[in-house]
Amino acid sequence: MSNLILGVGEFGASNSPADVVKTFALGSCVAVILMCPKTRTVGMVHVALPEAKINPEKARTRPGYFADTGIPALLEQMGRMGCDPRGRGFIVKLAGGARIMDPNNTFNIGKRNALAVKKVLWKYALGAVAEDLGETYSRTVAVVVSSGEVILSSPGRGDWKI
Amino acid sequence: METCATRETILQAIRDIPLLSPSAAQLLQLSAQDDYDIQEVIDIVKCDAALTARLLKIVNSVAYGLVHQVTSVDRAVSYLGERVVAGIALADSASALFDKELQGYEGPAGELWAHDLRTAIAAREIARYAKSPLSADLAFTAGILHAVGKAILSDFLKQTAPELLGSLDGHEIHDYLDGERRLLGIDHTEAGYLLAQAWELPEALQLAIRWHHQPAQAPAAFQPLVYAVHLGCLLAMMAGSQSADALQYHLDKGYSDYFDLSPEQIALTLLEVNEAFSTLQHALHESGDPIS
Repeated sequence: MSNLILGVGEFGASNSPADVVKTFALGSCVAVILMCPKTRTVGMVHVALPEAKINPEKARTRPGYFADTGIPALLEQMGRMGCDPRGRGFIVKLAGGARIMDPNNTFNIGKRNALAVKKVLWKYALGAVAEDLGETYSRTVAVVVSSGEVILSSPGRGDWKI
Repeated sequence: METCATRETILQAIRDIPLLSPSAAQLLQLSAQDDYDIQEVIDIVKCDAALTARLLKIVNSVAYGLVHQVTSVDRAVSYLGERVVAGIALADSASALFDKELQGYEGPAGELWAHDLRTAIAAREIARYAKSPLSADLAFTAGILHAVGKAILSDFLKQTAPELLGSLDGHEIHDYLDGERRLLGIDHTEAGYLLAQAWELPEALQLAIRWHHQPAQAPAAFQPLVYAVHLGCLLAMMAGSQSADALQYHLDKGYSDYFDLSPEQIALTLLEVNEAFSTLQHALHESGDPIS
């Protein structure tokens, strides 16, 4: 078994049954997990911010950073791997988007990330079948390519599946 | 919830921690002064052969992408900046603390350093939005040091995280600090503060460590710095943290007395935290720094 590890703003996909696609310690970031049942391909993008317009240069060099450029970039990569480039028939799961204890929500980038991700997915007529979003804990995400299992974990909270 | 440690056990553990190297201590003292000459930093580094070698390795690492090799301490210090130099000296001097596995917080080795470095970068960026002048250098250094108390308490908090988080989720305790105090009679900010006193760090750094989760309790003159570290720590947790206490502290909205921060500026700061952290982490890794 080998790990495809994605850092902040990175995206990637695997159709190797031996792989686990993983990203560590999502705080306000959101992991968008796309699974193509037809080709048994798993893709993931680690989105850090909602919109590319805040830094277009960054979006050019690392599109995965933003919801509105990261999801299209991941779909394009999965398209090159034999999946439908519009994501038709995909299973979508979401995790992350945590918040700090802030009554005014000024710092709630997690919520804005989650909304931006859903908005982009809607453009492709995609919706999440499972999600673990918000709350005040960090999440590590591991997706087992062979089974499509999505396992979340957080220090002190153990692990669970969505 | 019980542990076998008492406050006195922890105070003894603090007394047992070795002092900082002379160069690290001098650089930290210098960074807290309002004005100092970069030549003073260079002179301190030149007296420490190991630190000199480390800085040259870092500045010449691929992560910085310099065309010409830097061979002099003067250029290395001016390129890296005094705050990074002080941080590297501190990391070298106290790597046993900063790189240890945080078992009590269920955090892997290197997690404390990673969180501290992210906080330092965030505090430095936030200092730019201060309503009255605030030294970005000082904010960076305070960020590097702010959570050192966790390295002390971690050994005494083993296997307590699930219960502490349960108490927090059930609103039985106010935040993670409250939980630490109930278990041990001391929290990580006070433990870090006592260590900072033992290390004879400048008062500004001591107070940033002590009040970074309760900035309104800091003396008024130090509040801009303490709020910068407070916000930096929270932003670092938003950027990602593998520690049970991540995101388990409250935002003190009094920050708006000292900083003009819009949601867009917060997002840009987060972007910078991730970028600068990645660059520094790669540079430290390539240089063979134990903390990377």
